Amino acid sequence: MLTIELKMAWRNIWRNTRRTLLTACAICFASVLLIFMLSLQFGSYATMINASVKIHTGHLQIQAAGYHEKKRMRMVVPEPEAVASVVASIAAVDVWTYRANAFSMVSTADRTYGALVIGIAPEREAHVSTLKQTIQNGRYFPTDDRSTPSDLTPALVGCLLAENLGITVGDELTIMGQGRDGSVAATVARVIGIYKSGMDGFDRSTVQIPLTAFQSIYTMGTAVHEVVVIGSSLKKVPGIKAAAAARLKDRFPDADLAVLDWENLVPGLKQAISLDLVMGVIMYFILVVVVAFSILNTFLMALFERTHEFGILMAVGTQRSRLTRVLVAESAMLTFLGSIAGVVIGILVTLYFQARGIDVSGSSEILSQYGISGKIHPRLSFFTVIAGPSIVYLITILSALYPALKIRRMTPLEALAHV
Amino acid sequence: MNKPLLILAILAAVVLSIRTAAAENPDAESLVKAAFEHYRGQASKAEVQMTIHRPSWERTLTMSAWTRGEADSLIRIESPPKDKGNGTLKIGSDMWLYNPKINRVIKLPPSMMSQSWMGSDFSNNDLAKSDSILHDYRHTIDSTTARDGMRLFWIKSMPKPDAPVIWGMQKLAIREDDIIVAQQFYDEDMVLVKSMQCDDIKMMGDRLFPVKWRMHKSEAQGHYTELVYKQLRFIDGLPDRIFTLSNLKNPRR
Repeated sequence: MLTIELKMAWRNIWRNTRRTLLTACAICFASVLLIFMLSLQFGSYATMINASVKIHTGHLQIQAAGYHEKKRMRMVVPEPEAVASVVASIAAVDVWTYRANAFSMVSTADRTYGALVIGIAPEREAHVSTLKQTIQNGRYFPTDDRSTPSDLTPALVGCLLAENLGITVGDELTIMGQGRDGSVAATVARVIGIYKSGMDGFDRSTVQIPLTAFQSIYTMGTAVHEVVVIGSSLKKVPGIKAAAAARLKDRFPDADLAVLDWENLVPGLKQAISLDLVMGVIMYFILVVVVAFSILNTFLMALFERTHEFGILMAVGTQRSRLTRVLVAESAMLTFLGSIAGVVIGILVTLYFQARGIDVSGSSEILSQYGISGKIHPRLSFFTVIAGPSIVYLITILSALYPALKIRRMTPLEALAHV
Repeated sequence: MNKPLLILAILAAVVLSIRTAAAENPDAESLVKAAFEHYRGQASKAEVQMTIHRPSWERTLTMSAWTRGEADSLIRIESPPKDKGNGTLKIGSDMWLYNPKINRVIKLPPSMMSQSWMGSDFSNNDLAKSDSILHDYRHTIDSTTARDGMRLFWIKSMPKPDAPVIWGMQKLAIREDDIIVAQQFYDEDMVLVKSMQCDDIKMMGDRLFPVKWRMHKSEAQGHYTELVYKQLRFIDGLPDRIFTLSNLKNPRR
């Protein structure tokens, strides 16, 4: 019995091929769009997070509790090596490095700016951040660390800061700040390289010097401010965070250490992503509503067109509920056809762009703030494939239900009288 | 009581009585002006000990300071040895820092003015704009209380319209003998940001002077910076050559 209804539904669909194809196309198009856009959004988030994290923050950082908020010189990680060995014992941890920061004055003969002077471990840093790759002029710190001691402190300067100070590779730079013990910290540095990370704030306000030099200038001893950790993937971060917090507490019960992940470190990034996601969801909602109305329209038109036919069927004794079932089956099949086509095409289109990337270098002004400077790769996942089409499917079935239920209120006589 | 002290006491009493008679109905503007003249003089040379106190540590510096008139000053750190020779020169509202280790002078940019001076609770602005209260504010007497057997005027200072000021309001407590005993700094929302207490009023040089100055920010409990004047001499004038960049770099005395 059910098979007869399904058979009828199937035949009914193909009685008006053009109408069916148009409706299926609308559903298909909506599905393709949703799959692609969602993948693109999530792809760009991953790019944003990874780029931003790779420029400086890292996936996780271990700092003295309170340092992130107050940035006080004295809040240090006193034994970075010991902390690192604890972190290294976590399987998902890839690489790590040490850093120390001090807000200082940097000046040339006639200009002075406030900047964050960062002490980095050259060799480790090269694995953790993209700093080495973003050197625009000059070179990175020599990793063998055998520079003659009489030399000035080598320094890398952000491109916008270099521009503001009017300096280039080879020039001298005076750094003056306050050491950990409160004493005056000062040094003359030689600019050996200029970096352009693409993050304007970073390029405008940072200077990097080797950690060993930093520690002696700012009387840090062997202490650092941050142990920066990169995990094997973004997904592993929560796991690493929990493990690191537990093991550090176990190993250093007295030390006041905090484990912060990128969401804590760059809260703006997380918020930007949430905002973008909400905007996206609103867009998709509008899209789905438009599709739903067009489908409702198609089904209603079909119903009016076929009122006479339903009248005859009812007159020969077909139950109304059966007619309703046929109509629901029709719409289910139609939507299914459209969705399947949409999913297939959507996956193909997305995969194509995933492999090729979408060039956004032209409009990188805003994007560069989040470290996207080149190509965005959409990222296809089970979620992005399923979420859009299933919502479209649900909405269209619901909108098709209305005409189907309308049949229940028809009488054979009225229906037959309808032309 | 030995003789010089006795004479001094009598002298002080006479001076005070004249002052009180004259200042029966003091007006705020002249009170503030007199107070600043009292603690500045024409010029001065001082030795000051600065203690920066934090809940977990403390640090003490000694320094020599020369001031002239309202706007010029030179401060040089004498100890600890590590920081010896670091200097700050202020001419008008411009400030320069000198570090002997790298032998460089840095002019403080406007962007660094709100940063702390030498890690203390004084900001660069506190130094650079120390005379701002004289020119950019209007003063009114808020209340009158008593202290050390003398009247104490609490003066409310509101910025003049369009004056380039840092504080939304300042309050000064001035004893009737022109000694400032407290200064409070409020932001635009009239919230107390930091306050300074001056205590231990003694004879320094030729006048009574609060020897101990303590500045603390209201938001940070247990953080304060204390200045103690070890020596203070008021003089009629200081030569121009003291307030120069070359003297900042190469002290001639």
